[in-house]
Amino acid sequence: MSATATEPILQVRNLSTCFKTDLGVVTAVDDVSFDLHAGETLGIVGESGCGKTVTSKSIMRLLPSHLSFQKPESQVLFGGQNLCTASEEEMRRVRGDKIAMIFQEPMTSLNPVFKIGWQLDEALRYHTDLDRAGRRARAVEMLRLVEMPEPERRVDEYPHQLSGGMRQRVMIAMALCCEPDILIADEPTTALDVTIQAQILDLMNGLKEKLDTAIVLITHDLGVVAQVCDRVMVMYAGRVIESAGVHEVFHSPRHPYTQALLESIPKSGAREHGKRLPTIPGIVPSLTELPHGCRFQDRCAYKEERCVESEPALETSGGRSHRCHFPLGGER
Amino acid sequence: MSEEIGPLQKFLRGRGMRKLRRDRMALAALSVIGLYLLIALSVMAGVLDNADVFDRVGPDNVAGFWGTQDGERRLDHHQLRIERVERAAKTTDPTKSLAEFRLGGLRASAGTPEEVLGRVEEAWRALDAVAAYDELDVSPEVGPLFEELDAKVAALYEEPAGFAGFVQSLRMSLGTDRQGRSILFRALYSTKVAVQIGVVASLISVLLGTLLGAAAGYFGGWVDHAVVWLYSTFSSIPWIVLLMVLAAMFRGGALDGTLIPVYAAFCMSFWISPCRVVRGEVMKLKELEYVQAASAIGFGRVRILLKHVVPNTAHLMFINFSLLFIGAIKAEVILSFLGLGVKNEPSWGVMINQAKAEVLNGFFWQIGTATALMVVLVLAFNILSDALQDAFDPKHV
Repeated sequence: MSATATEPILQVRNLSTCFKTDLGVVTAVDDVSFDLHAGETLGIVGESGCGKTVTSKSIMRLLPSHLSFQKPESQVLFGGQNLCTASEEEMRRVRGDKIAMIFQEPMTSLNPVFKIGWQLDEALRYHTDLDRAGRRARAVEMLRLVEMPEPERRVDEYPHQLSGGMRQRVMIAMALCCEPDILIADEPTTALDVTIQAQILDLMNGLKEKLDTAIVLITHDLGVVAQVCDRVMVMYAGRVIESAGVHEVFHSPRHPYTQALLESIPKSGAREHGKRLPTIPGIVPSLTELPHGCRFQDRCAYKEERCVESEPALETSGGRSHRCHFPLGGER
Repeated sequence: MSEEIGPLQKFLRGRGMRKLRRDRMALAALSVIGLYLLIALSVMAGVLDNADVFDRVGPDNVAGFWGTQDGERRLDHHQLRIERVERAAKTTDPTKSLAEFRLGGLRASAGTPEEVLGRVEEAWRALDAVAAYDELDVSPEVGPLFEELDAKVAALYEEPAGFAGFVQSLRMSLGTDRQGRSILFRALYSTKVAVQIGVVASLISVLLGTLLGAAAGYFGGWVDHAVVWLYSTFSSIPWIVLLMVLAAMFRGGALDGTLIPVYAAFCMSFWISPCRVVRGEVMKLKELEYVQAASAIGFGRVRILLKHVVPNTAHLMFINFSLLFIGAIKAEVILSFLGLGVKNEPSWGVMINQAKAEVLNGFFWQIGTATALMVVLVLAFNILSDALQDAFDPKHV
């Protein structure tokens, strides 16, 4: 835990994001807090609909303002500023320049009518004072940094001339061209095939070390987490249910949900051959009809009366935290 | 090794253009449209002046093409030509009025007023000799007399040489209307009016509709409500009624008689269809990740809308432009036929309107010319739109 010695560059405190729906106000992200240190990779893990993407978009304030709002106690502290209360003008200076984001679907993440050089150029024009030649040189340099073959030629190509993996490289180049302090990657490898996934993850790991960027990696793929993350935050139905270093999560998960997620990773080897892959029964509860008590109770193998009576609080000890009345690996 | 080629060459060498070049119909349509544009541009450049379009060049309702006129018509024609020169020679200042004299581009031949009057006198005598016969087309003796008359009348005018002579031979080639004006030249002039109305009305409508539709689709909320309310309201008013109201509004004002009321009415009713289509497309586009990526880079909403979203609707703008261009030309003809559209200028609609009475008497030259020019243009445009669709549609192999 070397990173904890320094001051975190991003502190999220009690972040709650609500959506106005026809069924009333729904809290999609409920009381989420975490710290992010320079050069660290934080993985946010969870099933679909558990609030991973909403968390990241809340930090960037990219959610439609007429449909969503953040509860007043929410704080996203970055560079001495609370991004939850910053003006739109201030947010625009932060986005792209200080905090950048890459998206899941590389096929639609680039504008089809412009050359990729133009798209890189535009971000640079907006956030830097470089002249035309300087911006072009920087665009080529960024493409070379993300290991794009023949960058001088590729800057003059359109997105449809590139493969999915190459487009994701362009997206990463765009996100990193202003040297942001934080890169939020929302499922950056989900739409890519496995060999390209590994290349992109290696690339992100390498760039993190080169540029000292902190990464928030959102994924539902624990294999990806094991490969690149320093710390993991597991979310379930809008809540953080476990947060720990990557080694601890994989070797001694505290929350039954984390354990169930780990068990549902396919494993290789003769011992596993012929066995059914364990899955988690049931589905994530709808945010409009959350159960009383623990949110995971209906799917939990260790459910007891206390789980229905009250929702467990987030307990922190020894640099890791969990939200369970009966944590695993403890006295049971 | 990549060859250095510009974007235009890349476009011309692209798959779409190759397919288009193979399509004979499309090339024919393209050349027809090019010809119309050329005519419209040369009219704008002043090739046809007002005298060509508004002044009498011969007797009323002359049938078109050379040599199809009967004896009566030829006699009428000669009479008109003699009368005109005589009138010019008998004014208070005959030298000046003879110098300024024009009849459909023809000048009076040189000479003092006395000499001219002498020639007029001879021509009248030759005319009377012919007119003495009742059955001009049957009597065999009339032939040489007519030739005599032709020569006498020709002596009154300067024979135009070269290009002017060619223009002169075209002038009457499709006949004259009820006021003795050249049908061909009026129809050619109308091409300019049609193209002008088509381009201006559809360009403004497409730009207006795209901007409003894009804003409505992108911002949503009250902007969307306002735009949708606006186009629902406008689309419930028939454009002919709208035009009548506008014509009444502009009456007597500075803009009365110009094309402004026509443009205004067309734009007010034509912007709706691009607006609707673009609004739907933008609603789809704004959910795409590159739009979100653009906001994650920190761009403002207006910038994202104009620089990232609107360029992606360019294909809709092109399609709507070509549809509205044809629509505007047809609408202009209908309006002018009703007497609500173009005023103080010839247009195909105006010509068809004037031809109403003539058609009943079997005189088809005016209505035929105007209709044929319009049909050919609209048809060529339809064929070209079809071919463009075939050539540039990525789903079409």
